[in-house]
Amino acid sequence: MNPLESLRLSWRSIRGHKLRSALTTLGIVIGIAAVIAFVTLGASLQAGIVGDISPDDQRNIYGWAADPDTEGGPLAGAQPVVSGDDLESIEGLEAVDAAYGYAPIQSQAVSSGGEQVAQGDGVIATGSSYVREDTLREGRQFEPGEREAVLNPAAAGQFEENVSVGDEITITILGGQQATAEVVGITDSNEGLSPFEGFEASPRIYVPTDPYYVEQAGAAGLGDEGPLGPDGGEDGGEPDTEDAVEADDADQAAQAQADGDDARFIAVVVEAPSADEDDIDAAREAAIDYLESDDSDASEFLGDDLAMTFQTSAELLQQLEDVLDLLQNFIVGIAAISLLVGSIGIANIMLVSVTERTREIGIMKAVGAQNRDVLGLFLAEAVILGVVGAILGTALGLAAGYLGAWYIDLPLVYPLEYVALAIAVGVLVGILSGLYPAWRAARTDPIDALRYE
Amino acid sequence: MARPDAETEVKEATAVSLENVRKTYQLGEPVHALDGVDLEIPRGSYTAIMGPSGSGKSTLMNLVGCLDTPTEGAVVVDGSNVATLSDRERTALRGSTVGFVFQTFNLMPRLTALENVALPQLFQGVGRDERRERARELLERVGLGDRIDHVPNELSGGQRQRVALARALVNDPALVLADEPTGNLDTGTEAEVLDLFGEFHDAGTTLVVVTHERHVAERAERIVHLLDGKIERIEELGSAGKPDEPVDGSAATEEP
Ligand SMILES: Nc1ncnc2c1ncn2[C@@H]1O[C@H](COP(=O)(O)OP(=O)(O)O)[C@@H](O)[C@H]1O
Ligand SMILES: [Mg+2]
Repeated sequence: MNPLESLRLSWRSIRGHKLRSALTTLGIVIGIAAVIAFVTLGASLQAGIVGDISPDDQRNIYGWAADPDTEGGPLAGAQPVVSGDDLESIEGLEAVDAAYGYAPIQSQAVSSGGEQVAQGDGVIATGSSYVREDTLREGRQFEPGEREAVLNPAAAGQFEENVSVGDEITITILGGQQATAEVVGITDSNEGLSPFEGFEASPRIYVPTDPYYVEQAGAAGLGDEGPLGPDGGEDGGEPDTEDAVEADDADQAAQAQADGDDARFIAVVVEAPSADEDDIDAAREAAIDYLESDDSDASEFLGDDLAMTFQTSAELLQQLEDVLDLLQNFIVGIAAISLLVGSIGIANIMLVSVTERTREIGIMKAVGAQNRDVLGLFLAEAVILGVVGAILGTALGLAAGYLGAWYIDLPLVYPLEYVALAIAVGVLVGILSGLYPAWRAARTDPIDALRYE
Repeated sequence: MARPDAETEVKEATAVSLENVRKTYQLGEPVHALDGVDLEIPRGSYTAIMGPSGSGKSTLMNLVGCLDTPTEGAVVVDGSNVATLSDRERTALRGSTVGFVFQTFNLMPRLTALENVALPQLFQGVGRDERRERARELLERVGLGDRIDHVPNELSGGQRQRVALARALVNDPALVLADEPTGNLDTGTEAEVLDLFGEFHDAGTTLVVVTHERHVAERAERIVHLLDGKIERIEELGSAGKPDEPVDGSAATEEP
């Protein structure tokens, strides 16, 4: 008997028990739907994150000091230990192109042209090359030591009258002080520029650490928290910022102290000369060696319970992906259990069906059905149940994944290979769960079967 | 050269032959369902088998119908010895040379009359269109041309048995076996079905009918009487007794 005829006949008996067949496939539907939904979400999530790493970011190494036992993403448990002097020393290292601090400024509001909007985070003090030139839509990077700012489009657009290059904004710091800045550039994207910020889109304002963070830290007494050695100020004296250079030698140390020049940064960015792995490793090693050496200010704090972590975006992402993978494996595990339960359901129903249709099997054999014809019929029935379950599950899973991706605003990626895989799994589940019942059906003795009531 | 010719002759003339056939069931002590049966069923003949319950009628039918193999002896159906065939070969032989009609009709409940009649040809690998064509033709011959899309539940007992008869004939079998085909029918429909049997016999079909009832058996050309697994006697009736059967006057082939 040709397979198409088996399928046709099997389809008839499935339709003869609509409710039972529907309930039977439910286990498969749920299992496949769970896998497809989470794989779609996972793929979309990965595309959303990986898609944000620009090639230029790849030579950045992000560092922070935290208890080595701290679990979590970038900045988890980070303490302010790296001083401005440290950063300048690191930048002076041969293996390093640039080094600068990174610090969120705790703000209250931002105003422009007399209009004020509340903004509690998203003001970031950092180095000028943090905002890479190729991400600027307009204007230029800010200069260190100047009262300048670069905004992303969301930050620029939150005012009635869009802020543009050349405008002045006023940032109200937590505590009430105000700081002005001239807008010198607008970026081309609302997403975060580094793993420190997170990658979600939100209004952001980038300003130089000096003066903005230095001032804030000074005001908050952050800089004094560090138990400075007597030569602490001296170290930072020589390659100082323009502000400091203007001051005379005698005042320099005191000036630096007052300015909070010894402000400690919660996070740092070290730029390697290239994205090459060797260069990255060299820069990372040089930075860590320096920070752990007695020459650095940070070394006073670093020890057993506080260590520097330096990682690239790719490495940080890898951690995130590892977590995602783990989650995905977990879901796939649950789905596998669901599929197993579904298979047992199909096998069970098929066994009932074989018993119930003993007489029909007898009839078919009496009129010339071979064992393999009967086997084929019941196997086809199980496979149809499996495939229908897989198709429904795939559709449901894609719909759920689509809704989820849309809800958390991710680029939608359909994992097509998984759709093919799901159908294959449906066929496999059908065959595995149908094999034993079909075999039982095939070896039914026609004489007994015809006598069966 | 003479022998093969003679064999061909035998094969031509005989639909089934049984030689010293025994069927023994081991249930603690052996039960001889059939105990040395010799029987020849000529092609185109109409044979009735009678006997008390437990005398081995169904066992005989199962052997002749290639559903079962004898414990001893030879059952030759359409030239092949059933005892020497593999399970698959036996099934193939059954499908192509035997048609069954059962007391309880044994139609597939979810298939229409047409699909039921076409079912044996499905397993013979006949194409769908040809199958349907053939089934429709046979259903018309048994007077059910207007019922082809009905499922068994929507048909009367007589109609169901006529569908079963059409199904038995669909592969042009060498012989048709009917085990108490009218056991579940009332007198009127019984006559209709038996008339159809007569018609197909006249058209050349070899028929073997198991029955309890004398007047059903008398439609045949001869009656084989079984008792305790042995042939008690064979009663020759001459040509089929249909013309002088006083069952009823209406030789109808159509339902009202
Ligand atoms: N499968 C079986 N197992 C054991 N004994 C059987 C089996 N089939 C038939 N018999 C026995 O064989 C004898 C003949 O049975 P059967 O051919 O069915 O009789 P009939 O059809 O004439 O009533 C009976 O004694 C019956 O009990
Ligand atoms: Mg019987």
